[in-house]
Amino acid sequence: MSENKSMGQVFFNGIIPENPTFRLVLGTCPTLAVTTSAINGVGMGAAATFVLVCSNLVISLLRNFIPNKVRIPAFIVIICTFVTMVQMLMQAYLPSLYESLGIFIPLIVVNCIILARAEAFASKNTPILSAADGLGMGLGFTLALTLMGSIRELIGSGSVFGLNVLGAGYQPMLLIVLASGGFLTYGLLLGLFNLAVRKLEEKRARKEAEEA
Amino acid sequence: MQKLTFRRGIHPLHGAHEGKLPTRNMPIEDYVSDSVTLIMSMNIGAPAVPCVKKGDQVKVGQVIGQASGFMSVPVHASISGEVTAVEQIPYLGPAPVMAVSIKNDFSDTWVDDLKPLGNVERVDPKLVIPAIRDAGIVGMGGASFPTHVKLTFREGAYCDTIIVNGAECETHLTADHRLMIENSERIVDGLRAVMRALNVEKGVIAIEDNKPEAIAAMEKAATGREGVRVQPMVTKYPQGGEKQLIEAVTGRQVPSGGLPIDVHVVVLNVGTCAAIADAVIDGKPLISRVTTVTGCVREPKNLRLRIGTIAEDAIGKCGGFSETPGKVFFGGAMTGLCLPNISVPTAKSTNGIVAFNEKESRSKDESPCIRCGRCVAACPIGLNPYQIKVAADAGNFELARKLHVNDCILCGSCAYMCPARRWLTPSFKFAKDKLAAEAKAKAAAAKAEQKGGKAQ
Amino acid sequence: MSLRLSTAPHVHNPVTTQRLMICVIIALLPCTAVGIYAFGLPALILVAVSCVSAVVFELLWQVIAHQEVRIKDCSALVTGLILGLNLPAAAPWWVAVIGSGFAILIVKQLFGGLGDNFLNPAMAARAVLLASWPVHMTHYVAPTFFAGTLGFDAVSTATLLVTKSAALQDLFLGNIPGTIGEVSKIAILAGFLFLLVTKTVSWRIPVVMVGSVALFSWAFGGDPLMAVLSGGVLFGAVFMATDYVTSPMTPWGQVIYAFMIGLIVTLIRQFGSYPEGVTYGILLMNICTPLIDRFLPRHIYGHVKTEGKKEAKQA
Repeated sequence: MSENKSMGQVFFNGIIPENPTFRLVLGTCPTLAVTTSAINGVGMGAAATFVLVCSNLVISLLRNFIPNKVRIPAFIVIICTFVTMVQMLMQAYLPSLYESLGIFIPLIVVNCIILARAEAFASKNTPILSAADGLGMGLGFTLALTLMGSIRELIGSGSVFGLNVLGAGYQPMLLIVLASGGFLTYGLLLGLFNLAVRKLEEKRARKEAEEA
Repeated sequence: MQKLTFRRGIHPLHGAHEGKLPTRNMPIEDYVSDSVTLIMSMNIGAPAVPCVKKGDQVKVGQVIGQASGFMSVPVHASISGEVTAVEQIPYLGPAPVMAVSIKNDFSDTWVDDLKPLGNVERVDPKLVIPAIRDAGIVGMGGASFPTHVKLTFREGAYCDTIIVNGAECETHLTADHRLMIENSERIVDGLRAVMRALNVEKGVIAIEDNKPEAIAAMEKAATGREGVRVQPMVTKYPQGGEKQLIEAVTGRQVPSGGLPIDVHVVVLNVGTCAAIADAVIDGKPLISRVTTVTGCVREPKNLRLRIGTIAEDAIGKCGGFSETPGKVFFGGAMTGLCLPNISVPTAKSTNGIVAFNEKESRSKDESPCIRCGRCVAACPIGLNPYQIKVAADAGNFELARKLHVNDCILCGSCAYMCPARRWLTPSFKFAKDKLAAEAKAKAAAAKAEQKGGKAQ
Repeated sequence: MSLRLSTAPHVHNPVTTQRLMICVIIALLPCTAVGIYAFGLPALILVAVSCVSAVVFELLWQVIAHQEVRIKDCSALVTGLILGLNLPAAAPWWVAVIGSGFAILIVKQLFGGLGDNFLNPAMAARAVLLASWPVHMTHYVAPTFFAGTLGFDAVSTATLLVTKSAALQDLFLGNIPGTIGEVSKIAILAGFLFLLVTKTVSWRIPVVMVGSVALFSWAFGGDPLMAVLSGGVLFGAVFMATDYVTSPMTPWGQVIYAFMIGLIVTLIRQFGSYPEGVTYGILLMNICTPLIDRFLPRHIYGHVKTEGKKEAKQA
């Protein structure tokens, strides 16, 4: 299956058609927890992308050496290595972001997206393709988180990336930055995304029907 | 005397005297039309087979359709004259039915081989049920179940109470009401005949308390008759439903999927009882019945119609429509069957012909269910119509079965009460039919498999 | 002559959805009137904005989603009115608009419209507003009208325990700070009476819920009468817990539902960090309603108790 897919397709696949957050509904825990501001979304997304690309690459390289029976522990060990690297780097160079993301950085280890891509893609494909898949998925995740973070920050605090855009008179809707607001925003975005994808597919189907 | 009733239920057209006001004081009038059309499938079970042909001269009471099996009753000519047609005609159901049309010669000559058995208190009990079968009697309250089948029990079953159903809980209808006032003796005779045939000691005539005249008349007729008493009932719909009546009178509940005889009860309609008396005492078959013609007709009446009278003729006898009709149906407004046109003939179970004007028959669209629970409060069975409707509309008939849709008696109480005008009863009917068809197919498949197994 | 064909029944109870909703609106009028009288023009503006925006949101959604426009059934108006009466008089007008929008668009329409919402829209909107703008939503002002010469002398002639009876009298007449609709208990009871007379709601949910609040307040060492008459218990019991869509359909289900609301309300009041628990009590039991409807055993005609065993054996 992998041979007839170009790298561009694999890369793009993670951003829209199989967006991990909005289409596969993976990794919802960090999605709901850290997206109280746009910068948190970017940080979380970047960390996950780094881990995803590296672990996909390494797992793909080792895919012929890892015995099938112990593949999950092996994957986890590889993922753990990169997560620890990210954690230490962040702690060293971005201490404030590290503070606000807190426990969710080490929790990247158990993020479904990473394990799912290792299992479903990297363990069956070439290293280059796997890295492209990791990058695409990671960017899709980052974009989704940034979008959610921006929306929640805008409504819940009146700013985006810390910049006050709605003026001093705006009275922020506190609920949106609370946990229930996370669920509400996620649910609504999920619905909108599904609607958009369905409309696109309908359009494409209609076009194909017309051409035929 | 204490009035009895069942749980839940509704009061349809309560402010309008259940729609019975126009005809409740109208005496029964005889009416013989120019022609009749007798359909052959007037009973649940196998239809009768026509045994006359076009051009034959027939007399009143002559068998024109022979019973085809146990679950079938004969059909008799209701007028004398010439057979004008033996053909398939469209009827209320989806499939056409066989029917015999007769043109009246107005001589009203009866067949000469009537076998009267005389006084019901002295008749040989063994002769009663065959007489009922030969007279072509079916349940005249609307169900049209062959009465001789109802009175023939499987082995080991016994009956200790016969309930005569004079509740007439349906709206608009007063046919049973008038029959009880005018033919009370006959009804008690019919009941006694059955009691003696089945060796039953208790006969209860149950009448809703909105018919005090009928209660008085029946009480008078029942005085001095062995084991017979009159029981007033609370006026509530569906008091005349077989299961509800049994629960109200005896406190017993017919088990799900069972028959009244499982709780040792037989329920007979008052009209059926009167027909039984005619069959036993005079040997006369069932050729006429009382039908209420009401609604938007000029002179609403209770007519004694010959079986097979065309609806148009009966309405004509009542002065025709008083305004443009929007809908005409056989039976009361809660369970009545709509007529596609008014040239449809009546049958043995047609207890009413009701015409609605344009305004009354305007159908309302379903609006969203607001879960108000009025259907739950109304259901005489204790079902949750809302849940069944959701299951049935989703095509999940298995879930509907688990929610006991098969216990639904299709009384229409839930649909009457629904503020969103949801089509509850039609959905349940559809689900029940689907489930019955499925069960039938399954049984047939099992049978075929069994046969195949044997062949091997 | 063409005859209409339809399935039975051919007659219907004259009560329609629209009529039920109008009955609720009429029952709410006394509360609305007293609330506006007590809090003046700001209350009137708030209630009006809430009603109008609820109907406009419903209309907009139905037009945009290409649905049949059903604003004539008045259900959006009821939601808007109840939400308006649930706001403190000092709340800014845009709070009412956002609340109505949330109630109609998110709680009601996104879940399928009338009849399919799993939470009472007005209650859910109130909870959202409370969590989002706690300052606005808890800024109660004292009513202004009883301060003047408009004393109810005839009522105040009670001799027993002057201070307490005066407080009770204020509770009944509406001379307490609170949301617009909940202040006057007499107006709420008048509405309840109207709902009962028109058979719009049954007595079960309000009576059991109020009884349950009184019982548990007493059990936890509070004053049952004050517990019932203060805050939104009466208003919630009569107008919000009885919402058809989000309350159980069976009589016993309704009793359990109302009883549990009373328990939750008292628990939140006594042990929670919020002073008032009616909103959350009702919302929590709204969520339990489908479970109650589904799992509460029903007595069905012809199914005696032994039958279950028989079926189990056959299986």
